[in-house]
Amino acid sequence: MTAVKTTETAAPAGEIPPALPPAVTGGARKRRRRGGAFDRALPYLLLAPALIAILWLIGFPVVSVFVTSFRQLNLGELVRGEIVWTGFDNYVTVLKDERFWTVSLRTIVFTVAVVGASVGAGLLIALLMRVLTPWVRVALQIAMLCAWAMPILASTTVYQWMFDQNYGILNKTLVQLGFDSYANYSWFSSGTSTLSVVGLLIVWQAIPFLAFSLYAGLVGIPRDLYEAAGIDGASGWQTFRAVTWPEIRSLLMMVTFLSTLWDFKVFAQIWVFKEGGPSGESTTLAVLQYLEGIAKSHFGVAAAISVLMMLILGLITFQYLRRLLQTEEGKI
Amino acid sequence: MKGWRGLAAGAAALAVAVSGCGTSTNSGSTTETKEITVWLMDGSAPTTLTDALNKEFESANGIKVKYEVQKWTGIQEKLTTALASSTPPDVIELGNTQTASFADQGTLADLTADASQFNGGEWLGGLKDSLTLNGKQYGVPFYAANRTVIYRTDLFQAAGIAKPPTSRAEWIDAINKLKAANASNPDFQALYLPGQSWYFLLSLLWDEGGDVAKQDGGKWTGTLDTAQAKAGFEAYKALYDASAAKKVPADIDEAKPQQMEVFGTGNVGMMVGLPWELAGAVKAKPELKDKTAAFPIPSKKAGSTAPVFLGGSNLAIPAASKNAAAAKKYLSLLSSKKYQEMLAEGGAVPGTSKDTAKLATTPLGKAMAESSQNGKVTPVTPKWAAVEAGQNPLKDALTAYLTGAKSLDQATKDASDAVTKAMS
Repeated sequence: MTAVKTTETAAPAGEIPPALPPAVTGGARKRRRRGGAFDRALPYLLLAPALIAILWLIGFPVVSVFVTSFRQLNLGELVRGEIVWTGFDNYVTVLKDERFWTVSLRTIVFTVAVVGASVGAGLLIALLMRVLTPWVRVALQIAMLCAWAMPILASTTVYQWMFDQNYGILNKTLVQLGFDSYANYSWFSSGTSTLSVVGLLIVWQAIPFLAFSLYAGLVGIPRDLYEAAGIDGASGWQTFRAVTWPEIRSLLMMVTFLSTLWDFKVFAQIWVFKEGGPSGESTTLAVLQYLEGIAKSHFGVAAAISVLMMLILGLITFQYLRRLLQTEEGKI
Repeated sequence: MKGWRGLAAGAAALAVAVSGCGTSTNSGSTTETKEITVWLMDGSAPTTLTDALNKEFESANGIKVKYEVQKWTGIQEKLTTALASSTPPDVIELGNTQTASFADQGTLADLTADASQFNGGEWLGGLKDSLTLNGKQYGVPFYAANRTVIYRTDLFQAAGIAKPPTSRAEWIDAINKLKAANASNPDFQALYLPGQSWYFLLSLLWDEGGDVAKQDGGKWTGTLDTAQAKAGFEAYKALYDASAAKKVPADIDEAKPQQMEVFGTGNVGMMVGLPWELAGAVKAKPELKDKTAAFPIPSKKAGSTAPVFLGGSNLAIPAASKNAAAAKKYLSLLSSKKYQEMLAEGGAVPGTSKDTAKLATTPLGKAMAESSQNGKVTPVTPKWAAVEAGQNPLKDALTAYLTGAKSLDQATKDASDAVTKAMS
């Protein structure tokens, strides 16, 4: 974002001098100005190689996806190296498929639920850490670090074991507690219940990062603000509203934004659990894209889904992006 | 992060497409061939066979063989890039369900005219189908394996089952006897049958006269909602319900967990499996070696065996190979009786020889040889990949039907529609 901005601001900067009235410009000034323009351009010139490299690395795949989404690109075209332009055909195919709409809606609901739960839980734990005695806090932090360090697929497998129909510890515990109907209960019999289990896993995986980030924000709030609030007789909730909230609001917004990005396109956990089943009921957009692109080798259609995913994500995070751009010079 | 897979795929696709632009297909072998490159898959042919074969070929033709063993993981991508290059390998091995899509893209040489060189009269029917597209042959059958019912001889004896069942009714009878004899073991499974063992469902479907899809003027439609196909589903349910007091979950397949591991626990009387699965179970529990045998999946008609899904490999010559003539000689040698017998000895059904005497020396090999002649494959079309690779409608239908989430009519109709859609 900022990289693009720099190049944009560089252009007008170079155009200003010629706009000056020609009459005032003497020979000496001309020379000085040329030197000035060069001086002004120098930093950008020095940055240019790195900038181009970064833009190419980041920009090329994005451009490639956009371009691919307007091509018919199946295995045959790929092997033969053909380029077949199809205009908006891929988009029409995707948008006409009613499955795309149910899956999109499901993905949005899933993302909102998971982001809400994980940010909420992360904030609560961060607030808790502030008031804990040091050794309990360290124990909690170590536990969270362990959870954080666990590879995604490993923890997904553990969750699969826990929720196993016949041998899972959860069903066994529930039966021990007297809930006999949970003997051999299948947690993956419907899409909603499958996504709930996957959501729980994702929340569990996301909490450590959120809690640590928010805790770092909380630690930065001066203690005397709380003391002052205490002297004024503020209740816990009032203190939170008046002291804590304004201080961590922008941080909270940022982690919510990041969580939305991550949870919207989560794939591995959903795929490993039930491959988007039963009967495709836990399929999200990322899974749909995999099915089209990798399983069916319709790379063009998959690219169109990618572009649409970016659009949806842009709409969801629109408010945040707007604020981010507005406050660029000021806060944050 | 994984959401960007499509992005990566797109980028890779573009990269490959760009690099593939310069491909010139020059198959005219004007220069003399000095060396051919052969790609075979990991674990396909025994090394004794390939060593002897390569040596014989080199000394007879004066052409060096650059022999490379490939891993199955990621082979699709590797073959895609290799075939798009200007110097592909000269002989490749392809999974039989992969062959149609590669042939359809025009990447494999048409070998129809040369079939007689490769013992064309004795090709294994199921494999021959898998490499035939629009009436042309794009490869040579290599080897195949098919599922049989692997059982515990000691448990059969203890339950008073004198001989392996030869009809489906007898089979269910045997299951019930086994269950009764082992009633004291709560974890016992007379037949280990997970709910999504769809290759086995194919056997039952075909046995009832049904199929997954039919072709009509180039268009494929799902046929899972026909009466015959429904009968196959019902047969599956009958076996599933009978299989054990404590049933295997309906939403897992035979690979998760590996059924050989379950069989290796000793609590299982039978499983529908492949030779390597028995080998895996024996490796985990060596005493099973002398207590196991196999019989072909029984048909509903007494005395005959049910059709089976033939898994296996074909050999093909890439269209862009510059050494096609030498590659054909290599395949011709491999199709000869000597090497086909070595394949059979290794425990596989040979692709270009009907002589399975060497295979029938073990009980499992015998059962496999008996049913392999009745082997079938899934619809031979490049579109089939879409059914199998993604969310397999057959698995979904089985789970929904077995758990009662959908009625038989609903489950099979949904699956049929899904197959039609995936293959359109």
